[in-house]
Amino acid sequence: MKNKKISSFIISFCLFSLLLLSSCTPQPPSRFEGAQQESISAGNKNTAVDKNAVKGATFNQFFPSNSGEYERVFTQEKGGFVQAKLKKNGEDLAILAIFDTISNPSAKDDFKNSTDKINGFPAVQKGSNSTAVLVGDRYQVSIRSSNNDFGIEERKEWLSKFDLNSLSKVK
Amino acid sequence: MSKSIFELVDNLPKNNVTTMVLNSLDFAIPGQWQNTTNFEQMIREVTGERDEEMIQKIGDRAVWLFNDKTQGYQNALWLYQNVDKSDYALGAAALANKVGSKIGFLNFLNRLTPNNEKAQAIDLAIKLVVELVAFCQINGLPGDSIGDFVAALREYESDALMRMTALICIDGLVPFGADFIMKVESTLNNLSTQELNNNAGFSSVSKLIPGNNSEGKLQFISNSFEAVKSWMIGFVSSHNLTQNEVMKNLSNFVEFSEDKLDYVAAFLDMSTNYFEHTGTQSIARSLISRAMMEV
Repeated sequence: MKNKKISSFIISFCLFSLLLLSSCTPQPPSRFEGAQQESISAGNKNTAVDKNAVKGATFNQFFPSNSGEYERVFTQEKGGFVQAKLKKNGEDLAILAIFDTISNPSAKDDFKNSTDKINGFPAVQKGSNSTAVLVGDRYQVSIRSSNNDFGIEERKEWLSKFDLNSLSKVK
Repeated sequence: MSKSIFELVDNLPKNNVTTMVLNSLDFAIPGQWQNTTNFEQMIREVTGERDEEMIQKIGDRAVWLFNDKTQGYQNALWLYQNVDKSDYALGAAALANKVGSKIGFLNFLNRLTPNNEKAQAIDLAIKLVVELVAFCQINGLPGDSIGDFVAALREYESDALMRMTALICIDGLVPFGADFIMKVESTLNNLSTQELNNNAGFSSVSKLIPGNNSEGKLQFISNSFEAVKSWMIGFVSSHNLTQNEVMKNLSNFVEFSEDKLDYVAAFLDMSTNYFEHTGTQSIARSLISRAMMEV
């Protein structure tokens, strides 16, 4: 009986210590904390989007249009940015976007080593499921797959359906 | 400076009355909503990305976009946080220790004051408008673009769809039953600007509701409700939603009596902040979805 009491006391003590320890251990800082600090120092207005970024709505006309069972649905329109979903018979295939890199010029870095071209513009793979073209050394047109059946070849094919030439002339 | 977007997501409760209520609505939209409470995990879910360097870039970009006040995300967060704040602090404190065991609803009766029908109807309409305005702030459409919002509703998924489901079930079906649309409509049609101004929910968010004055804002609220009405009717019928079905699912964790549904509505008002919870998730999801195309 006494032993039982002692052992339950020990167990409770251990559990309590564990609780205490875990509640005192500070959470490790997030891997995005650096960006937060830099962003705070930069201020809170016009820090992520350049004032001279092209108006988002300008880009809509350069997207591939609806055809047959394929549907394009616009989902976001912000300064220097437009995004749409590509759907087939109601199912999501990919995300399409045009982005004015004036707001984040480092996005262009990946294209320096590009050997591939789509309609004459440099193309690269970005990350594990995205393909992008740099148009007029300024506008990034990209497609990210949201469906396993939509691979790199499909992304390239659909990138070539954008009106890249006209987009390259936008000032 | 307000909190970072990763902090807001990482601090969302994993399990509280709000998440239990939302999980109980899974029957209406099976598998649509997962309670993601980790920003990095959300990046992986939204982007399907496996490249660590890319994940870092996407998260960093999302952080910058969120902090830029010209981009609308802060306004959207403010709306989601304020629209169901009034009663929530009180309820959360009272229920802090109740998660895990079945909530004995009758123990709370003395703390609950049911809203009258009018206040309840205004509450639903205000939440709907908050959703509309926040949607436009997040996705960059003009602030009063009712038509675009209605068209976008059919693309709603995950946290956003759950928020609309909860609005219909918790703020519509539970207090009013199947007639909720008619009741809200007739309330709005007979509402004076003074009554609107006296509503706590309205005053807490009115500064971001389009309209030059109370009259204009009331008009905007009525127009929005009118425009979204048929979507809601269609949603209720295509998902076979009824007051009974919602109550049956809620009763898995709340003990209540059937003759006190107005008290159940007041209890849910007080104990949940599902707009803030799922709204934070929607903002983060939208930021990530944008950031992944901007790096």
